[in-house]
Amino acid sequence: MQAVAGLSFEARPGEIFGLIGPNGAGKSTTIRMIMNIIAPDSGTIRFDGSPLSEADKDRIGYLPEERGLYRKAKLGEVLEYLAAIKGAKPALYRPSIDAWLGRFGLSEWKHRKVQELSKGMAQKAQFIAAVAHNPSVVFFDEPFSGLDPLAQDELLAVMVELKQKGATVLFSTHIMEHAEKICERILLMDKGKEVVYGSMADIKARYGRNAVQLEFDGDASFVAGLDFVESVVSYPRWIEVEMKDDADPDALFRALAGRLRVRRFETVAPSLHKIFVRLVGGEEAQNVQA
Amino acid sequence: MSRLRYVIRHEFRLTAANKAFVILTILGPFLIFAVSVLPSLLAQSPGAVASGKPLALSGAPPPVEQALTATFSGMGIGVERVDDAAAAKDSVLDGSRIAFLSLEAGWPDSGKAVWYSKSGAEIALYSAASAVLEAAAREARIVESGVDPALVAKVLSPPSFEVIKLDKGGAEEARGSDSFVEVLMTVLVFVMLIYMTVLLYGQMIGRSVVTEKTSKTVEIMLSSVKSQDLMFGKILGLGLAGLLQYAVWVSMAFLLKRFVGPLLGLSLPAGISTGNLVWLVVFFILGFFLYSSAYAALGAASEDEQHLGQMAWPLIMFLIVPLVMISTLVTSPDSTLVVILSLFPLTSPIVMLARVLVSSPPVWQLALCLALLVAAVAGTAVLAAKIFRVGILMTGKRPKLKEVLRWVTVK
Repeated sequence: MQAVAGLSFEARPGEIFGLIGPNGAGKSTTIRMIMNIIAPDSGTIRFDGSPLSEADKDRIGYLPEERGLYRKAKLGEVLEYLAAIKGAKPALYRPSIDAWLGRFGLSEWKHRKVQELSKGMAQKAQFIAAVAHNPSVVFFDEPFSGLDPLAQDELLAVMVELKQKGATVLFSTHIMEHAEKICERILLMDKGKEVVYGSMADIKARYGRNAVQLEFDGDASFVAGLDFVESVVSYPRWIEVEMKDDADPDALFRALAGRLRVRRFETVAPSLHKIFVRLVGGEEAQNVQA
Repeated sequence: MSRLRYVIRHEFRLTAANKAFVILTILGPFLIFAVSVLPSLLAQSPGAVASGKPLALSGAPPPVEQALTATFSGMGIGVERVDDAAAAKDSVLDGSRIAFLSLEAGWPDSGKAVWYSKSGAEIALYSAASAVLEAAAREARIVESGVDPALVAKVLSPPSFEVIKLDKGGAEEARGSDSFVEVLMTVLVFVMLIYMTVLLYGQMIGRSVVTEKTSKTVEIMLSSVKSQDLMFGKILGLGLAGLLQYAVWVSMAFLLKRFVGPLLGLSLPAGISTGNLVWLVVFFILGFFLYSSAYAALGAASEDEQHLGQMAWPLIMFLIVPLVMISTLVTSPDSTLVVILSLFPLTSPIVMLARVLVSSPPVWQLALCLALLVAAVAGTAVLAAKIFRVGILMTGKRPKLKEVLRWVTVK
């Protein structure tokens, strides 16, 4: 069975790159291959233009999807150990760990055992383990899963900060909204294959027919049947309508008059989710959150 | 190599800082002391049990009293004649006398000799008293019957019988039943040590590997170090802790032998010699590496600790078999079965060690044993590294044996 096949992409220094796809698309397998945890049957992973070596791993920080730290050990000791095996010097990682612990409000947990941490705290601790040795490249595999919305925003901010400090940030997610907020370039994948790859702006322009977001009261099911409408993504209280290439949103507005109570009518660039749905097909898209 | 160092250091610290480890390291020598030295200590100077307290005596005729006094003063125990039996018993109860020996009127024919003590467990003391009384009674009866005591002595004297252990190089060493007990004790202690430490450390490695899986730390570890660095780091880290433990124990044994022993005026069992201690450490190291590698592979192939426990059973059997056979090992160290077991790598660390202690196995057998062990360690390590590499990432299902074998063949 093949989890991933014929995938080719690059992340450029100093950018935020998103690896996006539904559950089971092969995102984690791809990242594991990049991290050299599992070997690809064919193909190469290149780092700064040459095949990834063991030494390169030191410059990479990794947040695996499967979270876990030695439960019986003290948090500070685990973090120092994980930084040390990345080849970092104590003079570098000690202050760095303290700073990150402070940033995430975990300073007082430094000398407590990992098993005492709450799930959210453990998640943050794991994030610190990925960045404490000041890597120039970071991989975050599903970094937002299990975090509450506030913590998700905090993490988004930190990722942007890492980029601003010059790090290359790669992350995988099945939540399009996060990718849309911070990614410069993305690889959209499904069933182990590339669906679309490129800069966010290009992709939006390429697949960017005009779309309309609509909030309303009433039954909007007829909209999908209008002849200038390409497709519709429906939610309980609003829909996103993708118009056919030459259609005028104005035509839609006129068609709605008298049949729906329109609260908001907005022409937008299509969301990543919308693009994904169009490219992959509705059924696959069920897995993906907008 | 540099990464391996950190893993080793981490695992070493994790083990050596463990309370159980510290307790075992410190208590180990005392346990060994208790098992190996205490019996000979008590046999040689039963007076130590009395710790200077006198023995109360009543009803003994003067020659018997003299004989008892002579015997007990040799052990550093005074004998006090008492008249009041009740007071004498009280003095035993309150601890001011070690025991009270009462000879009833008419002893030895119509009266009994009774030994009163708090515990009734000072076997060395009362068997000495009993021997003196027996000799005195026998002599009295011989005199009474009119037979010449010199003739009786001649009739009853046992013929001489000696046991000599032949060593290569022409050395001959007298052995009595005492020295056999000593050898048995030493073998028992050494074999138990190897068994316990190899099993303990093996299980620690297995658990450590399983924890890597169940805590899901493994992926972040593998993003930094190679899987074989992780595995050998664990084995070497724990091995260092084990060696530290052995270093403490061996130096304690030396201290006992060199300083504490002479101080107390007793000798350690002859088996605890420098050469034998070296063999102990050599077989520990080889046994440790063999079983640790096997346990690392088992740990990587198991789903959780319970599963590891089940899978480890066949392995543990090989450690238990020599223990069950320990009396055979000591009594017939050169029988075919024992020789085979002393060459087979999974049993040889224990069996060959026992043979070295008891007899002098041929040099070629020793060499073959060590060669086979080293080869087995290398082979197991290579296999284990392969199983480890694949198994450590497998979670959520119990792999079948066939699957595990396939991991080995993965390039």
